[in-house]
Amino acid sequence: MARRYDSRTTIFSPEGRLFQVEYAMEAISHAGTVLAVLSKEGIAMAAEKKVTGKLLDLSLAPGGEGMGGEGTEAWMGGGGEKIFLLNNNILAGLAGITSDANSLVNFARNSAQKHLFTYDEDIPVEMLVQRLCDMKQGYTQFGGLRPFGVALLYMGWDPIYGFQLYQSDPSGNYSGWKATCIGSNHSSASSLLKQDYKEDLTLEEAKSLCLKVMSKTMDSTKLSSEKLEFATMTLHPQTKQPLSKIYRPSELDGLLRDLELGGTKEDLIGAMEGTGGGGAVGNVAIST
Amino acid sequence: MECSFGLTGKDYVLLCSDMSAGRSIIRMKSDENKIKTLGPHLAMAYGGEPGDTNNFAEYVERNMRLYHIRNHYPLLPESASAWIRRTLAESIRSRKPYSVNLLLAGYDTTTTKPHLYWIDYLGTKAVVPYAAHGMGVYVSLSTMDKWWFNDMNKREGVDVLKKCIDEVKKRITVHFNFNCILIDKDGIHHIDIESEDPITELESQQPKETLVDAPNPPLDIGNVGVTA
Amino acid sequence: MELNGGSVVAMIGKDCVAIASDLRLGNQAVGIASNFDKVFPVNDKLYYGLPGLATDVYTLREHLRFRVNMYRMKEEREITPKTFTHLVSSTLYEKRFGPFFIEPVVAGLPTPTELDPHPKPFISTMDTIGCITTPKDFAVAGTAADKLYGVAEGLWEPDLEPEDLFETVSQTLLNAVDRDALSGWGAVVHIITQDKVITRTLRARMD
Repeated sequence: MARRYDSRTTIFSPEGRLFQVEYAMEAISHAGTVLAVLSKEGIAMAAEKKVTGKLLDLSLAPGGEGMGGEGTEAWMGGGGEKIFLLNNNILAGLAGITSDANSLVNFARNSAQKHLFTYDEDIPVEMLVQRLCDMKQGYTQFGGLRPFGVALLYMGWDPIYGFQLYQSDPSGNYSGWKATCIGSNHSSASSLLKQDYKEDLTLEEAKSLCLKVMSKTMDSTKLSSEKLEFATMTLHPQTKQPLSKIYRPSELDGLLRDLELGGTKEDLIGAMEGTGGGGAVGNVAIST
Repeated sequence: MECSFGLTGKDYVLLCSDMSAGRSIIRMKSDENKIKTLGPHLAMAYGGEPGDTNNFAEYVERNMRLYHIRNHYPLLPESASAWIRRTLAESIRSRKPYSVNLLLAGYDTTTTKPHLYWIDYLGTKAVVPYAAHGMGVYVSLSTMDKWWFNDMNKREGVDVLKKCIDEVKKRITVHFNFNCILIDKDGIHHIDIESEDPITELESQQPKETLVDAPNPPLDIGNVGVTA
Repeated sequence: MELNGGSVVAMIGKDCVAIASDLRLGNQAVGIASNFDKVFPVNDKLYYGLPGLATDVYTLREHLRFRVNMYRMKEEREITPKTFTHLVSSTLYEKRFGPFFIEPVVAGLPTPTELDPHPKPFISTMDTIGCITTPKDFAVAGTAADKLYGVAEGLWEPDLEPEDLFETVSQTLLNAVDRDALSGWGAVVHIITQDKVITRTLRARMD
């Protein structure tokens, strides 16, 4: 019975469900985990990369020593697969179909720049989340189209509400969080976060909580920059302006070593080797 | 035949506009309010082509209100000035441009700083400590050049404003009535500029009594995040 | 151009460039503001100046900021002075039959790359519809352009060190705008070198 209502995204089933939207959410729960923790001093976000493999040519991917830094270019250090800069004051971690995600990132960046153009200020975080969610919702209602197979975590800062963390799903719903998680194992990661989250965390504690939960959630015991992207949103100590930082692989490995969660090359060998896409889905195209 | 000026002080901004409405040498009205409140801490004094002025002022007012309702917080003065400027800059290159000059005054509740913007019908924007439009330009700018200084308290600000008005009355043959407001952390207050000591009057009254009606969203959603 | 007034000058030195502007915003003969900066940064190696109609200064700057930000996020690198010049040029030419009344000046140092380890300092200037000129010495624009040409022609010499270039560009600007009623009211100078940007605000005649 249900199958009759599957092929159209915009038709309710007799039980009042939108199957295509639910399937999109299902696709995301197989994708690499993204989790983030909010603190008074800033936000930390970690994302699991699933596209690994010996033959993948990453020589042109971000993360070289020449890129990034401590100032305005701090966001250029790494990322590019799971974590993206959407605007000066907003970073997003994505889980789902990579190609859909790329298109959403482009839309978000354009929307943010349009706001900057008309109001001469960085777009408030929730407003950008709303822009994206309005579009995502559209694809669950208008005919002939497929919903975006992407969930996002947004972390950002604006002068009105300060640091904020939001999550959105393919249906176009969004919500604000102190610590949250999307992607595979999100329910177990969420309960770990709920257990260990404390009010008044420092940024350092948020970073370590983020990575500790990540290490328990991911299949392998030792973390490393090959399977992980990491970013923080803080305020610049002098200018008090938002500072987005996506860690370079070397910086992330350093952080992981400090937290004794891995970060050494040797632990990697064999961990993901031969699995190509890795993870349960095993399909590079949809599993980031 | 128009005259408006504004000035910033330590933690407030004053805005003053004449109240005449008419055509060429004829005055048809001497109690026209040409200051529009755009939000809890934002107002503008406007002038220019009759018809364009009110239409544009209402267009701005309603867009500011729409933003407030949609986002639960008002546009900050800086962003409001950018939006108004963009609207005029787009208008000037359209088929029928608005011919409106304005002074935008606001108090930024997030930084507790006063703001004053000089904006003309081309979309030119200047961020200034004091400014004037209309006939006032020729006498009040030099008056403010001489008497204005940084971080004036309210009484000192009103004194400078009075000097400007005196100068206008002395040097300009046209007679004007003036309408004046003060914006500070509590909101927008009406000031009786003709009285001897408007600030004492202002302070002796309950804040609520002097407040000018500002367009607030209809629902009481609290002032989350926008209080100082 | 003559409505709001304002002037910009850029000069090439030895491994450095300078760009400077006055700070006046006027409404014909009436001075409105003495804090109207016409020079904006793209990044710490590249600045540009937009003398001309003030409404277009804002609009063009916001257009360029939009495009540069998108470029930076997509490319994950900074735009080079040469690419940026062509971006400004095509943005201006888009409005060929209703132009921005602006004559931009661009000044920047290209970042050294493997292919070009010792890039030359770069300046360029355009007319209102984006026709590019890339001078080897200096570029001037604005209401005091004619005066600036004269003073710059006399003061500029090749291979000036940053501090000497600062002196040259400051004297050029101050003396030229003193002869122009529509420019002046203070000035700001940026000297761009490979490791830092020196920004100084100059006191000037306030009449």
